[in-house]
Amino acid sequence: MNTTRRETLIGRMVLIIFMLFTLMPLVSMLSTALQPEATIPTGISWPSDPQWHNFVDAFNVANLGTLLWSSVLIILGVVPVSLLFATMAGYGLGVLRVRGGQVAFLLLLLGLTIPLESLIIPLYYQMSDLGLLNTRWALILPLIGLFMPFGVFWMRTHFQSVPADITEAASVDGANSWMAFLRIQVPLAVPALSSLAVLLFLWTWNQFLLAIVLVDDPNQRTMAGALGAFQGRYGTNIVLLCAGSLLIMAPTILVFVIFQRQFVKALLQGSVKG
Amino acid sequence: MFRRYFAVVASAVMILSMLVACSGPSGPGTNQPAQTSAAGPVSTALPTGKVTLNMYIETGFPLPQKLADEFTRQHPNVTFNIRQDQFQVITENGPREMAGPNPPDLIRLPQVVGPAKSGLLLNLDPYYKAYGWDKWSQSLLDQMRVGTDGIRGHGSLYGLGIGYDVTGVFYNKKLAAQIGMKSPPTTIDEFNALLAKAKAAGLLPIMQFNDIGGVNFPYQALANQFEDPATLADWIYNKPGATINTPGTVKAAQYIAQWGKAGYFSKDVNSLDYTTMMGRFEKGQGVFMFNGDWESANLDKAMPGNVGFFLFPPEKAGGRSVAMSAPASYVIPARAKNAAEMVYFLNWVHTNEAARKIIVEENGASPGGPSDLPLPPIPAGTVLSQTLAATNQLAKSGVAIDFFANATPGIYANAFRPELQLLVAGKETPEGFVQNIQKSYQQELKQ
Amino acid sequence: MMGSKPELNPIVASSVRSSRHRLVARGRWAGWLYVLPALVMYALFVLWPLLTSVEYSLYSWNGIDAGRWVGLENYWSVLTDSELILPIVHSFELVFFFTVIPVCLGLVAAALIRGFSEGGFGAVARTILFLPQVAPLVAAGIAWKWAYSETGIVNQLLSAVGLGSLTRPWLADFGTALPAVGFIGAWVLLGFCTVLLLTGMSKIDPALYEAARIDGSGPIQEFRFITVPSLIGEIGVCVTVSMIAALSSFDIIYISTYGGPGRVTMVPGVLIYRLAFDERKVGLASAMAVILMILVVGCVLVVQRVMKGENS
Repeated sequence: MNTTRRETLIGRMVLIIFMLFTLMPLVSMLSTALQPEATIPTGISWPSDPQWHNFVDAFNVANLGTLLWSSVLIILGVVPVSLLFATMAGYGLGVLRVRGGQVAFLLLLLGLTIPLESLIIPLYYQMSDLGLLNTRWALILPLIGLFMPFGVFWMRTHFQSVPADITEAASVDGANSWMAFLRIQVPLAVPALSSLAVLLFLWTWNQFLLAIVLVDDPNQRTMAGALGAFQGRYGTNIVLLCAGSLLIMAPTILVFVIFQRQFVKALLQGSVKG
Repeated sequence: MFRRYFAVVASAVMILSMLVACSGPSGPGTNQPAQTSAAGPVSTALPTGKVTLNMYIETGFPLPQKLADEFTRQHPNVTFNIRQDQFQVITENGPREMAGPNPPDLIRLPQVVGPAKSGLLLNLDPYYKAYGWDKWSQSLLDQMRVGTDGIRGHGSLYGLGIGYDVTGVFYNKKLAAQIGMKSPPTTIDEFNALLAKAKAAGLLPIMQFNDIGGVNFPYQALANQFEDPATLADWIYNKPGATINTPGTVKAAQYIAQWGKAGYFSKDVNSLDYTTMMGRFEKGQGVFMFNGDWESANLDKAMPGNVGFFLFPPEKAGGRSVAMSAPASYVIPARAKNAAEMVYFLNWVHTNEAARKIIVEENGASPGGPSDLPLPPIPAGTVLSQTLAATNQLAKSGVAIDFFANATPGIYANAFRPELQLLVAGKETPEGFVQNIQKSYQQELKQ
Repeated sequence: MMGSKPELNPIVASSVRSSRHRLVARGRWAGWLYVLPALVMYALFVLWPLLTSVEYSLYSWNGIDAGRWVGLENYWSVLTDSELILPIVHSFELVFFFTVIPVCLGLVAAALIRGFSEGGFGAVARTILFLPQVAPLVAAGIAWKWAYSETGIVNQLLSAVGLGSLTRPWLADFGTALPAVGFIGAWVLLGFCTVLLLTGMSKIDPALYEAARIDGSGPIQEFRFITVPSLIGEIGVCVTVSMIAALSSFDIIYISTYGGPGRVTMVPGVLIYRLAFDERKVGLASAMAVILMILVVGCVLVVQRVMKGENS
């Protein structure tokens, strides 16, 4: 694409402003995490004596090692299954256009609008009846269910925008729908799948409310659930809270950056057409 | 599209009605046993053999953990399994856990009435007799009594405190000297005059948090003096017909409104949180701060020799002191497996010398227990020694009253928090303030 | 290979049509096998609790003891108590901040990022803009609380550019609290919209842009006439999701203001939580939740209608 240098420059500046806006609170979290403990930060001020050991303290206080492992287990239970079910359902609704699919879709759409707070108490008793309270399954199963609305919505949107001639071409090859699904549609869907995977990973990782209520044992919750350890009744140990939050964010940023490469590869492939 | 949608809704309604029909007339929840009554004779012997006690306590308060460690040191056959959660989370999860199959042996729980009424708490009356707790300060224990009518302050005992706190006014000694305060004020008018002097000198008179309603500390301090504490206690304990709408409480609200208008609070008081308030006060901003003795040790560390404490003064010189003084209440679920052992531990906390020392040093709180037991020695000149002395003074000649916030589960978040913010900002009249609180109170009790 | 229309001669075409017909006919029902797993999980762990919640709304219940049947009384309370209606109004005000700003700015950001070659500035921008989605909301809420405080960075910046007279404690001021909270939401959702829109942009045929360039149109016209129309689907998703986030917002307000100062930032999500957990009025909370849900569904249907209209 031929773009003028001026356009590039303006584009850069606008994006830089956006990025500064985005980074502002996060940078203040970093500068706070480095303050001596039990102090109150004001604005952003790089401490004269950075207390890097605060990260170690936060790690220990919140038992982040155990929770890291716990979160990984929960992610493994939630994300792959959710991706599979959502993609299949998106395919069924968006490409195969099953009879009555509209009804199913509307039903799922309903799920997007349900406030989580209203489901917590019924979920608690449901998990209790199933005998799963205090296990990670109390978190994994509801999360899969809760992710279906957005997941199916998103994949369906993708599949709907796949040009019809590709679908036809797939059927012409004599393949049945499952092969068409696996060999042709899924690879095409990788950009949408990647973004969905990242989002589901994040939403599971940062899950706070469900973890607190459904899992009694603090060691079986998610890492985000650990942030409660820094909040007393009146006050918050803000310095450690920030250090802890940054520690919790670190794996997600890592995963996100790694996924970016796949994401980008898929973007490039998808954009080269015809 | 809408037709399809109606189809979905119709089927949902059908399923729902089936659900309701199937669940039977009782609906959600199960009938809990009635409030537990006193059981027969109980044991006060130290448990022999290996025992593990389960505690569910709040984060940020390491006191129970330290006490547990000391107990295990003295009695190695008893170990503790401690689970910690945010205060907020315990308040939510606690009742459910107590009603469940595996309740802990001890829970930190500020709201005693609801669980007591639902029969979830162990009745401690037989232990009261067996251990001789009638020698303890009764006005503090009474706060954890619940009658069969659901009214607090009388009836069976359902909880004990670990550490009993007192509240009052901390002051920055240097700044106080600057405005000519030679000794703590003895009347409210004197205090008022000091506030004006501080403002005139360009200082911040009161450093108070109010993002979650912390102005209740000064508000209730005033109300405690302008109104008969017994009337206020009736309201806190939900006695039928009790009201907070009285001339005394309106006068207290007027003072707060005046203080707000005169700029005695910080400009961002409504978004100021507790930790920031502490930080600023420790850095030397603010002459006075209304708070409790749980901060004494921290303040001694941060402002050595520069911080003092006094109980909020009465209206007239020589009047009796009234202050919010409440136990950090802990309860034993009725279904706890190691109830007797846990009661032994609680009694030990109140009577054992090492335990009492830990409570005072760790939390700055009074250890409660028999009033003739000596208090652990504290270095003079510290604010901790002052708050301890204040607790004693209150017990001897003053009145300890519970916090307004404990009147009902929701009164603090629902009423006090927004209303205090409006009052301080001049957006609410003192009369309206009190009326709204009463309205909220009555709505909550109606259920 | 893909993208070129297969040219079939009529004989082959008819046989293809008939075999496709069989395939399609079989697919119409076998297709349900694809949809079932998602539906089953959803029905078990979302619909069933939802119906139970509706059941709760017909009782007065504290979560522990047996509930007391009250029929539609809870619904009546919600609809007649101004204290319960006002939060709904606030949530609609938040829609502007949660939806309009992130979608508009997201379109701009995505279009700009698209223009940069991969692996450089564009990748960095994309990563950074997405960071708010990575941070736990609890921590982000608290970080913003200080940013907005009397001595926080927002006031620092204002003073630095000479607007010092505008400084105030933003979350404590009755007039600015709700917009301030709105901006936190915009901050959280901007990266989300940007990434979703970028995904959509990957499907736009570059040939369209080249043709436009040859015709002499500038970047703004490209944006208006090619980019935005091609993204209607994705924009629809962004608008829907962000609007739902605004109407049922909870985390951000819970952490930053809990409805204060006074009641100016109270929203239905926080109210439901407060009723259920602080006041133990599970029935009333459930009724509020049902009403909120109906409201949100209504709005979503309207948006879907409008988007469908735009599409044609």
